[in-house]
Amino acid sequence: MKFLVTKDLEYSTLIKNLMAGVVFALFFFFLLDVVLHSYVLGLDVSTLSTTLFGNPDEFIEPILLDTLLLQVHIDLFMALFSIMIVASIYIRLHSKKVMTKWLVHALFILGLFTPILLLVAYFTNVWFVTIWLVTFICGHLLAMWMSLLSLKKLLSK
Amino acid sequence: MKNLHLYNIPIAYMLLYIVAILASGVWLFLLSQGLASADILQTFTHIVTTPEPKSLHQFIEVATPHMFAMGTLIFVVAHFMLFSTKVSKKLSLIVSLVLFIVALFNISAYLFISFGLVVSGWIKLLSMTLFVLIFLGMLGLVAFSL
Repeated sequence: MKFLVTKDLEYSTLIKNLMAGVVFALFFFFLLDVVLHSYVLGLDVSTLSTTLFGNPDEFIEPILLDTLLLQVHIDLFMALFSIMIVASIYIRLHSKKVMTKWLVHALFILGLFTPILLLVAYFTNVWFVTIWLVTFICGHLLAMWMSLLSLKKLLSK
Repeated sequence: MKNLHLYNIPIAYMLLYIVAILASGVWLFLLSQGLASADILQTFTHIVTTPEPKSLHQFIEVATPHMFAMGTLIFVVAHFMLFSTKVSKKLSLIVSLVLFIVALFNISAYLFISFGLVVSGWIKLLSMTLFVLIFLGMLGLVAFSL
């Protein structure tokens, strides 16, 4: 992040192109992360409930706690780095906008609470599955939107 | 540089994320040692007396991603100390280097158990406790610098 702060974009074509490249890659990371989670956990309340709580009628066992916790552990790590990069570049390019501060707050809060809510859902009930689904989709859409706005600004300069 | 204070937001959230990553990591380790079927004190006793056996394959499977993840995470957190005007560069350097060494010790601790060099699992508990405490200390230094 220090490198993003110290160079002025007006004078460095290299850092501008590097930022465009990483934002482009992260846009597809967020997109594919949704697809990956739909395969691993499911992306509707019914499939998610079956994954987390099992289904005795169809003899489906619930997911093991250590498997879920490993997923949460990895998700937290990946979210930290991907969101840090997107947020830093977004701040660099849109620092004059009033909304920037709130968008960055929203992105980090959604990214942090999404994995935690999955664990809460596992230990409580199906209501938290719905909340997890909403935060997961909103977080990813917000990250993709911020990536696109950054990319637009980088390519238009 | 305009609006530099905005960068405090990602740094502050990073500290929270890392606390969550550390907590989930410790929980995962304790689960692998039988926390699901025993209380926490019994699990600690179990780790010290008879740690769960791990093959070289299982060790490598855990160690490989952690070598990358812990190294990167320590680097990213420690590099924010460059911005600090409240903490000396010497202290930042000492804490960062100690953290790198303890992280390596923590990752490789189970290797000593797997190869029978150490019978008790105290080495893993000690290294993990040291790693978590020093990492929390470094997060505290970054938070203090914000």
